[in-house]
Amino acid sequence: MNDTSNAQEAVLELGQITKEFPGVVALDRVDLAIRRNELVGLVGENGAGKSVLMKIMIGLIQPDGGTIKLHGAPITLKNPSDAIRNGIGMVFQEGSLVPNLSVTENLFLCHEADFRKLGILSLRSMRAAARELLTQLKLHIDVDLPVAEITTAERQMVEIARLLWLSKLYGQENPVLILDEPTTVLADSERETLFEILHELKDRASIVFISHRIQEVLENCDRIVVLKDGKNVTEMAASESRLLKIEQLMVGHSFSVDRFHRDGEWRQAEKEILRVENLGKAEHFQPLDFTVREGEIVSLIGLVGSGKEAVCRCIAGLEKADTGGTFLDGRKLPGGSPSAAVRAGIGHIPIDRRSEGLALMMSVAENVNLLVLNRLKAAGFLSPAREKKNAHHWVAECQIKTPSIGTLCANLSGGNQQKTVISKWLSSRVRLLILDHPTRGVDVGAKDEIYKLIRKLAREGIGMLIMCDTLEEDIGLANRLLVMKDGRLVKEIASSPEQKPTPQDIIGLIV
Amino acid sequence: MAEAKQETKRRMTRKLRIPPVYVTVALLVVVGLAFYLGNPNFLSFYNLNTIISFSAILLMVALGQMCTILVGGIDLSVGGLVSFISVAFILLIKPIGYIAYPVCILAGMFAGYINGLILTRIKIPSFIATLGTGGILTSLAYLVSPRPVNLSPDNYHVVDTVVNGSLLKVSNVLYIGLAVLILYFVILRFTSTGRNIFYIGSNIKMSWMSGINIMKTRNIAFMLSGLGAALVGITMSSIRYGGDPVVGTAYVLNSIAAVVVGGTALTGGTGGVINTIFGSVFMSMLDNGMNVVGIDQYLQQAILGVMVIIGVTLTFDRTKTPIVK
Amino acid sequence: MTEVSSKGGRLTALRKRFPAPLAAVGVWLRRTGTVAQILSLVILVAVFAIGTKGKYLSWANIQTILSLAAIPAILAIGLHLTVVLGGIDLSVQGVASLCAVFVGLLMRNQFNANDVGLWIIPISMGVGGVAGVISGLLNTGLRIPSFIATLGMSWVLYGMAVYINRAVNVIILDERIFNAINGMVFGVPQIAIFAVVLTIIMQFVQNRTQFGRYLYAIGGDEALAQQGGVKVVKIKIAVFTIAGIIYGLGSLLLACRLGVATSRMGNGLLFPAITAVAVGGVALTGGLGGAKNAALGALIVTALNDGLVLMQVNPYAQQAVNGIVLIGAVALTLDRKKLGFIK
Repeated sequence: MNDTSNAQEAVLELGQITKEFPGVVALDRVDLAIRRNELVGLVGENGAGKSVLMKIMIGLIQPDGGTIKLHGAPITLKNPSDAIRNGIGMVFQEGSLVPNLSVTENLFLCHEADFRKLGILSLRSMRAAARELLTQLKLHIDVDLPVAEITTAERQMVEIARLLWLSKLYGQENPVLILDEPTTVLADSERETLFEILHELKDRASIVFISHRIQEVLENCDRIVVLKDGKNVTEMAASESRLLKIEQLMVGHSFSVDRFHRDGEWRQAEKEILRVENLGKAEHFQPLDFTVREGEIVSLIGLVGSGKEAVCRCIAGLEKADTGGTFLDGRKLPGGSPSAAVRAGIGHIPIDRRSEGLALMMSVAENVNLLVLNRLKAAGFLSPAREKKNAHHWVAECQIKTPSIGTLCANLSGGNQQKTVISKWLSSRVRLLILDHPTRGVDVGAKDEIYKLIRKLAREGIGMLIMCDTLEEDIGLANRLLVMKDGRLVKEIASSPEQKPTPQDIIGLIV
Repeated sequence: MAEAKQETKRRMTRKLRIPPVYVTVALLVVVGLAFYLGNPNFLSFYNLNTIISFSAILLMVALGQMCTILVGGIDLSVGGLVSFISVAFILLIKPIGYIAYPVCILAGMFAGYINGLILTRIKIPSFIATLGTGGILTSLAYLVSPRPVNLSPDNYHVVDTVVNGSLLKVSNVLYIGLAVLILYFVILRFTSTGRNIFYIGSNIKMSWMSGINIMKTRNIAFMLSGLGAALVGITMSSIRYGGDPVVGTAYVLNSIAAVVVGGTALTGGTGGVINTIFGSVFMSMLDNGMNVVGIDQYLQQAILGVMVIIGVTLTFDRTKTPIVK
Repeated sequence: MTEVSSKGGRLTALRKRFPAPLAAVGVWLRRTGTVAQILSLVILVAVFAIGTKGKYLSWANIQTILSLAAIPAILAIGLHLTVVLGGIDLSVQGVASLCAVFVGLLMRNQFNANDVGLWIIPISMGVGGVAGVISGLLNTGLRIPSFIATLGMSWVLYGMAVYINRAVNVIILDERIFNAINGMVFGVPQIAIFAVVLTIIMQFVQNRTQFGRYLYAIGGDEALAQQGGVKVVKIKIAVFTIAGIIYGLGSLLLACRLGVATSRMGNGLLFPAITAVAVGGVALTGGLGGAKNAALGALIVTALNDGLVLMQVNPYAQQAVNGIVLIGAVALTLDRKKLGFIK
C-alpha cells in the first residue's frame, strides 16, 4: 500500500459537487480527490449518493453545482464518451458488454480504426492485440468466445481491459477506473485475483472502488472515503481506520423526530400469517426461516447482494425458490405463480410502480378495481355502479388526491400513484403485503401519509414485509428486523416502540 | 431525476391530450365533405346505404382485429381465415344446411385459438405466427376450392333467410353487424376477460404480477378475432351466393387500418369499440368515396398504406418501449 | 439452427467433459454456425431421393433447384440484415412489384420507346434503396416498429406499382441480362453463382468490417451498443437501405428471367424469403446469423418445395407446409431469454 502522506498529485478533483432531484438533495457539496496511483475505496449506505457521484464522474449526469478538474484544469463531461476521452471510465455492476459479440469485438467496439486497412478489419491483428491486453491482466481466454459464454469475473476483466486500452488510445497516461461493486458477484478466489490485478494496475492508473464490504475495502485500498446522505463524512487512510469507526460514520447520528408515528404502533396478535420454511434459491440466498404475524411489520434489511429482494420475489411468486416453501395461513403456496400468491392473499407493492405497479394509461378506478372485478359484478356482468362505489371508497380511505376516479394514473403525482397501487391490493383484502421501497420517489408529505397508512393497516391485522430506502425507515416502521448478509439470514432483532435499535447497532451486521 | 422529467411531461401532455376518437370524427367530416364536393352523389341515400353496409361487414373483422391489437399483438391471418371460411361455408351448406353457420363460426374461433396457442405456448411473436397461419389458411382455402365455388340455387334459402333478408327496409347485414357490435362491446366493457385485455395491453408485467391469467386472456382475444373473420366470410359468401378463395386478401390491410385509424394504439391497452366503429366507417367511406369521385382504384391501396402509417405514428405509445425494433 | 447459450455456456460445460474432439467441432460450429442446416439439407435430400426413386438427384433437378433458389436467396440476404438488427422487413413484395414496374417500362419493351439498357441495374437498385431509406426513417425517426412500418410500405409501394402499371403485363425485349443469368457455367446455373458471390461478399462485410460489427452489436443489445458508441440510427437506416437495394437487384433479375414485368411480380415473395431466413438459423431476436445462413435457408426451402412438387403433392398444400416450417423454424431459433413477454 502506498503511503498517502506523500503529497501526491491529484488526477481528478471533484469540488463542491451538488446535485438535486425533485424532493431530495442527492449530493450536497461533495469533495472528492483522486490521486495518482492510488486505490480509493468509496463506501456509504444505499442512497448515500455514491452512484449519483459516479454518474457525474463519468458524464452520465450533470452536476447542479461544483467543479470537476482533471490534472488541475477544469473540464465538463457532457457524456460518457467525453469521460472516456479524458481517461475516466466505469465498470458497471451489470456489465456493459454486448453479449453476442466476441471478447475481441467488445474490446475494440467503435474504435477499430487502428486495425482497419482500406475499410477491412484485420482479424488477426485484432485477436493478437486482444490477447496481449488480456495477458496483462492475467487473463487467458479464447478471445473469439462470445462474451455471453465467459464467466462474470472474466467479463469484468474484459471491461477493465477495454477501459485501459481506450485511455491509452486517447493518450491519457493515468486513467481513472471506477469499479461499482465488483466483488458482489465474485467467488472468493476470484476476488483475490481481482485485488491482485488492481494492485498491479495501481502503477499506471487510479482506481475508485465502490463496495459495501468494508473489510475488504480496508484491507485493499489506500484511502477510504465515506459518504452519508449526500455529504462527505470523512476520508482517511485505510491504515488509520477501524471497521467499527467506519460503520458508525456511515450511519451517523440517530433520528429524534417521530417520523414514523411510533405511537401508532400496536402490539401485534400472536396469530401467524406468513411462514417461510427452509426457503432457498441458489446463487441468491441460503435456506432460511421466518414468520410474520397478524398486524406485524417485519423489515428485511441488507445491502446489495444480501438476497433480500430475491426472498420477497419468491414469496410473491415472481420467482421460484429452489428449496423449502411459503405458507400463508397454514397453506402451502406453489412457487413461481403470482396468481396463486394473489389468490392466497399476498399483495406486492413493487419498487417500480410505473412499470410494474399500474396501468398508467388507465383510470384510477380501473386500477383500483383490478383485483376485485369478480366482486363488482351484477348478474354476471361488471356493474359500473359497483365499480364506482368501490373506487370512491378506496380513494377516500387512502386519501388519493385525484380530480376524479376516471383520471388516468399517468396524470397523478408519484405519491398518489403509490397510494393507488396500495388501494388496489387493499381492495382485495390481502393478508400479507410485501412493500418494496414504498416511499421511493415520493415527496415528504406523501411519505408521511403512507407511513400513517401502513400503521393503520397493521392495526387492522394485515401482516407486512417491508424493505425501505434507509435504515432509519426500516427501524422506524418495523416491529421486527430480519438482517441479511450475503445471502444468509444472520439475525433477528426486535424493534419495539420502547426499545428501538440504532442504525449503528445494525450496520455492523450487514456490511 | 426520472420523476422530474415525468412531472414536466405530464404537465405538458395533459393539456394536449385529445382523445383520438375526436380526430377520427373530424377526419370523417372533412373527408366526407371533400368527397361530396367531388361528386354530390356521394351523399345520396343509396350511396350512404352502401357505405353503411360495407362498414358493417368491415366492422366485424375490425372488431376482432381490435381485440388482438388491444392485448398487444396483431392478427395477420384474418385474410386467410375469411377466404377459407368463405369457401368452406358454401361447400358445407350442401350437406348440412343451416348447421354450416355454427360449424363455420366454431371453426373460426378454433383458428383463433390456435393463433393464441402459438403465441402463448410456443412464444412466437404474433406478427410472425399469424403471418404463418395466414399463409396456411390461404392455401387451405385454395386446397378446398381452387376456383370460386357457387351456391346451387336449391340452397339459396339457407343464406337468404339469414343474411340476405331485410327488416323494415334495412338489410339484415346491418342487424348482424349491430349484433356483433353489441357482443364485442359487452365483452370488452362488462366482462372480466374484456377488462383483462385492456390491463394486459396496458402493462403486461403488472398484469402478470397481479395474478391475471395472461394465457387465457390472450387466447380469448385471438378467438374473438377468429370469430369476426369467420362471420365476415359467412356474410360475404351469403351476399354473393358463392365462395372465393381470394375474397379475404384485402381484409388484413382494411381491418388493421380501421382499427388504427380509429384511434386504437398498436401498443395496446387504449382504444375501444367506439374507436373502431368510426374507423370502419371512415375506411368504408374512403373506399367508396375514392370510387365515386374517380380516384384510381389502384392508388387506393397506396393511400390506405399511408393512412396506416400515419395512424400508427399518431397513436403509438412511445413511453412504453424506449427501444423500437 | 444456431444456439448460443447465454449463461456460462452449455458449450463450455460440454467442452469440459469431452475436451479434444468436441473442442474442434465446437470451434467449427461457432465459426460457421450452419451445422444444423447442412444436416437438415442432407436429411431432406435423402428423404426426397428415396421418395422420388432417385429422380430428385438427377443433375437436371439439382440444376433446377439451384436455379430456383437463387432469387429467394438474394432476397433473403437482404431481408436477414434487418432481422439481425432485431427488426424485420415485410416490404419485399411491395418493393419487388414497384421495381418490376420500373424494369418493365424502362427497358426496351413493346409499350413505349424507353430503352435504358443496362442502366436499369442502378435504377432498380436505386428504387429499392429509396424504399429502404423511407422504411428506415419510419422506424428510426417516427419510431414505428419495423414490422408495421415495412408492412405499410409494402402496401403503399404495391399500390403505387399497380397505379403506374395498371395491371398490364409488359414483355421485356432487352435480352442481355436474361442471357447473362440464364446460362450455365460448368453445369451450374449462372444465376446461382451470382447468388453465391453475393453471399460471399455480404458475409465478408459482416465479418470483416466495422459496419458488420455494429450490425451485430445493435442486434445483440441495442441499448448497450448505443452506450458503447455505436451510431444506431445511422446503421439502422443503412441496413434498411441496403436491404432495399438488394431487393431491387433481385427483382431485376427475376423480371428479366421471367421475361415479363408485371405489378403482381411481388406476390408470394415474402413467405419464401422469411422462411429462408428463419430456417437458415437467423434468430428473430437478432444478433445471430449471417448471409450464409440466409442463402443456405433459401436452398433448403427451395429443395423442400422442389421435392414436394416432384412427389406430386398438391401445390396448395405447399404453402401450408411452408407456413408450418416457418413457424417451426422461428420457434427453434428464438432466444427466449431476450423476449421476456412476447407480443
